[in-house]
Amino acid sequence: MNAKHADRLAELRAKFDRPPSWKDDPKEDKERQTIRERQPRFRGLEAGHRACQGCGEALAARLVTEAAGPDVILTNATGCLEVFTTPWPQSAWRVPWMHSLFENSAAIASGVEAAMKAQGKSTKVIAMGGDGGTFDIGFQALSGMLERDHDVLYVCYDNEAYMNTGIQRSGSTPHAAMTTTSPPGKERMGKRHLKKDLLSIIAAHHIPYAASASVAYPRDVTRKVRRALSIEGPTFLLIHCPCPLGWGHDGARTIEVARLAVQTGLFPLVELERGAITGVMPIRDQKPITDYLGLQNRFRHLFAKNDHRAEEEREHLQAIADYNIAIYGLAADGDDPLDSEGADTVHRCAIVP
Amino acid sequence: MVTLTRGTYALSGTSLAFKTGTWRVERPVHKHWAAPCHAACPAGEDAQAWIAKVQEKKLQQAWEILVSANPMPAVTGRVCPHPCEQGCNRGSYDQPIAIHNLERFLGDEAIRNNWAYPVPKKAKASAPTVAIVGAGPTGISAAYHCIRLGLKPTIFEALPEAGGLLRSAIPMTRLPRDVLDAELERIFALGIEFKPRHRLGRDINLEELRQDYDAVYLGPGCQRSKEWSVAGAVPGDLADGLHLLKEWVDHGGVPNTKKVVIHGGGNTAMDIARVLKRHGAEEVHLVTASGLPGPDTAPDDILNVVPRELEEGVEEGVIMHPHANLKRLLMRGSKLVGVEMVSLKKLPTASGRKARVSFEGTERVLDADIVIPCIGEAVDPEGMERVLGGSNYFRPDDWGRLSGQDNLLAGGDARGDRGTVSAAVGDGRKAAIALAAKLIDGVEPEGAPRQPIDIASLNLNYFQKGTRAKAPTLPVEERTDHAEIEGSLEWSQVSAEGERCFSCGNCLACDNCWTYCPDNAVLKTADVAVDGSHYVFDYDFCKGCGLCATECPCGYIEMIGEPE
Ligand SMILES: Cc1cc2nc3c(=O)[nH]c(=O)nc-3n(C[C@H](O)[C@H](O)[C@H](O)COP(=O)(O)OP(=O)(O)OC[C@H]3O[C@@H](n4cnc5c(N)ncnc54)[C@H](O)[C@@H]3O)c2cc1C
Ligand SMILES: Cc1ncc(C[n+]2csc(CCOP(=O)(O)OP(=O)(O)O)c2C)c(N)n1
Ligand code: SF4
Ligand code: SF4
Ligand code: SF4
Ligand code: SF4
Repeated sequence: MNAKHADRLAELRAKFDRPPSWKDDPKEDKERQTIRERQPRFRGLEAGHRACQGCGEALAARLVTEAAGPDVILTNATGCLEVFTTPWPQSAWRVPWMHSLFENSAAIASGVEAAMKAQGKSTKVIAMGGDGGTFDIGFQALSGMLERDHDVLYVCYDNEAYMNTGIQRSGSTPHAAMTTTSPPGKERMGKRHLKKDLLSIIAAHHIPYAASASVAYPRDVTRKVRRALSIEGPTFLLIHCPCPLGWGHDGARTIEVARLAVQTGLFPLVELERGAITGVMPIRDQKPITDYLGLQNRFRHLFAKNDHRAEEEREHLQAIADYNIAIYGLAADGDDPLDSEGADTVHRCAIVP
Repeated sequence: MVTLTRGTYALSGTSLAFKTGTWRVERPVHKHWAAPCHAACPAGEDAQAWIAKVQEKKLQQAWEILVSANPMPAVTGRVCPHPCEQGCNRGSYDQPIAIHNLERFLGDEAIRNNWAYPVPKKAKASAPTVAIVGAGPTGISAAYHCIRLGLKPTIFEALPEAGGLLRSAIPMTRLPRDVLDAELERIFALGIEFKPRHRLGRDINLEELRQDYDAVYLGPGCQRSKEWSVAGAVPGDLADGLHLLKEWVDHGGVPNTKKVVIHGGGNTAMDIARVLKRHGAEEVHLVTASGLPGPDTAPDDILNVVPRELEEGVEEGVIMHPHANLKRLLMRGSKLVGVEMVSLKKLPTASGRKARVSFEGTERVLDADIVIPCIGEAVDPEGMERVLGGSNYFRPDDWGRLSGQDNLLAGGDARGDRGTVSAAVGDGRKAAIALAAKLIDGVEPEGAPRQPIDIASLNLNYFQKGTRAKAPTLPVEERTDHAEIEGSLEWSQVSAEGERCFSCGNCLACDNCWTYCPDNAVLKTADVAVDGSHYVFDYDFCKGCGLCATECPCGYIEMIGEPE
């Protein structure tokens, strides 16, 4: 490490207590590195962010940036992720990151990508947004980006409502879920409409790769991010991220909730290339949707006694899950190491040399 | 100084200045529980710990951990009824881990490669001395652990060779003597002083031993047959099962019989039944008051035979009469011609205690030319009369300490409440620990501090069903007096079997906590952290969401209230 770097590091240390390691000294100064600085993985999203306890979105963003590595530029729509990672004057990001508006993450990413291309750089661009910013308000920018064939990966963190402004329904909110703008009552049992089938719309842009993933299957997330980044052209990833605050589940059970969404068939994990289904995560043991609904307050009214609509809506959601399984061919025939039971199997990893 | 202006930029990773740990009301901590296999092993083996090393493919280290409790895995891997497997959490998921097969594999590998037994504490010249009576598994284990703990042991054995019942009674078809010899030889080579042909009560006496040594451990087993008769009758040519077995082991001879009735339901009964069947007896009936394993039998009423041996015995044609007793011997003069049996069961009596009740009207007669009692033995009191005080067995505390007797301990079969090799090994180990604590450090021994963890505390989502490894067995028609019946697992089977272990209550190093923490508050270390894992919580940032604890497959993370 040269003197200039050392001074800079000292300055940062004094100011922020635990700065990230200096980028070109991974080995030189072992002694002064903290354990955090020596983690054997790239830290794209650092601790100290202000997400809720057990936030699925924070986890997903951490996984995406870890998989992407340092040579990326991120753009972010307004929303929880933007707000909790960048409480001014701090930032939890350790890669270049940009925010402008709620609706224009894809548009900004398009510009950044064009600039990189003009400069002859290979730095990858990832545009990010919540489901509100993607399914609804940022949709035209996204559609344009896909249509113009920009070399950008768009990641939508799907927590199925506008969480940052207090849990309003979005185009992604599932049918019958309670939000502040789709309260259950005399007229309705939560959201009246269906969850928008965004993936099909994206796929209709004929892009090289679009996929859905879930925080319950981190290795699958990593693989899909790397796959997408290895492709030249527009790619899209929809990641299911339970929100303890908005869904009303215990933050300790975020993964359990996410896993059940996959195991029930309510959130199918699929891959599409040029609009055709090229891969799915098969479901080994389909779980009844009530296992999933029962963990979340947003579906509490579906368990109301003495309300015939509760059962009807439960059956409706079960029918949707069964439909997904049929349409995408999710029913496993035989055990597969990469199916819903196999994909998260753990082994002892040999850390010690 | 860098000045930041609103709306422009922030430096990367600067959120680290904000300690989100202050939000926490509960914190995750690592908690190492006892795996059920560990809690259930009478020898005190921590199978979880050594299987972890098998998973890392570090077989010698696995064996070293194993022998820190049990010096004779090649023996116990063959003969132990493996209560560890009954305890194994995997049993309520698919099938228990084949712990005894893995244990045997490691024991055999150690012999094949001549791995050295680790001796953590070398004895000083002035080290306390321990006299051990009996070179059965309990005496050998006591001596071995004395060596490990820095005490100087001497074993006094009545017979010319060490091994106790392992050598004199357990059939070679279950425990080949070359395996026994190899394992014992390696243990004795650690520096155990061995005095064969020294019988307490004949060649030496207890008072002398207590004067010459700092402590004495009694492991004489049970050598005295108990009185046996049926309603007062005894055939003229009576010989008990253990005696017949020992003769057979010694020189291969067995009584020439056609129809045999064995009375009793332990290993001796099953072993002699199988030997006689193999030697041409037409019918071998095993009459036992206990029941066969199954839904109709209470756990405390199942006959005390290694499950595999029961299976193989039945396969070989031994006819079982569970929940039955002998009521009368049918004699012609002093010669047996048959027995009368009656059904019975252990049932609660008016006082609530359980007692055996026979059922009138279930009497039936079996033709027989020999009846062989196998009802257990008692301690031969010779030389130990004062300590035994007229009872059949010693009644020491769990460490083997006899009340009112300074530095005199006892264990193994001589306790009367044990009856397996692994329990005998465990007793020897505990006695050595108690003695080392007292004689070297002047303190009380410390018991097992960890609670066993049950399956509900594991997260089974991270495991997949799989089938248990099965060792090859010799077909019935190829079984002889000598060939070993159960074979060894291949390394590929051992490795696959090890992979099935849940690592109950201890870190599997699976990375789940590290992978799932949304706050980057679990850090991975290349060095081993103080608690033995490779992960530390960064409480500066941990928000206490509890996600890592839920997703830890092994129950190794517990949420506790945030300390004030
Ligand atoms: C036929 C049979 C089959 C069995 N099968 C199994 C099995 O499959 N699995 C299992 O776990 N257990 C089995 N057991 C039980 C197991 O063998 C015993 O529990 C175990 O050997 C007890 O060990 P020990 O050291 O306490 O006693 P022992 O093995 O009996 O050893 C006692 C030793 O002390 C010596 N000794 C006795 N008195 C004196 C004296 N006065 N002075 C000096 N030396 C003396 C004896 O010669 C002997 O060597 C079986 C037992 C029998 C009889
Ligand atoms: C044009 C515009 N309309 C509304 C808002 C207010 N707003 C900020 S964040 C947000 C919700 C974001 O929801 P979503 O995109 O689903 O992300 P989440 O917070 O759920 O991660 C809204 C409505 C805004 N910033 N800009
Ligand atoms: S000694 Fe017996 S109980 Fe202990 S681990 Fe070995 S087989 Fe299991
Ligand atoms: S799964 Fe492994 S650690 Fe758990 S009880 Fe069985 S052998 Fe022991
Ligand atoms: S997952 Fe992270 S933040 Fe949550 S309790 Fe565990 S260490 Fe703390
Ligand atoms: S989650 Fe895995 S790595 Fe973390 S403590 Fe539990 S077993 Fe160990």
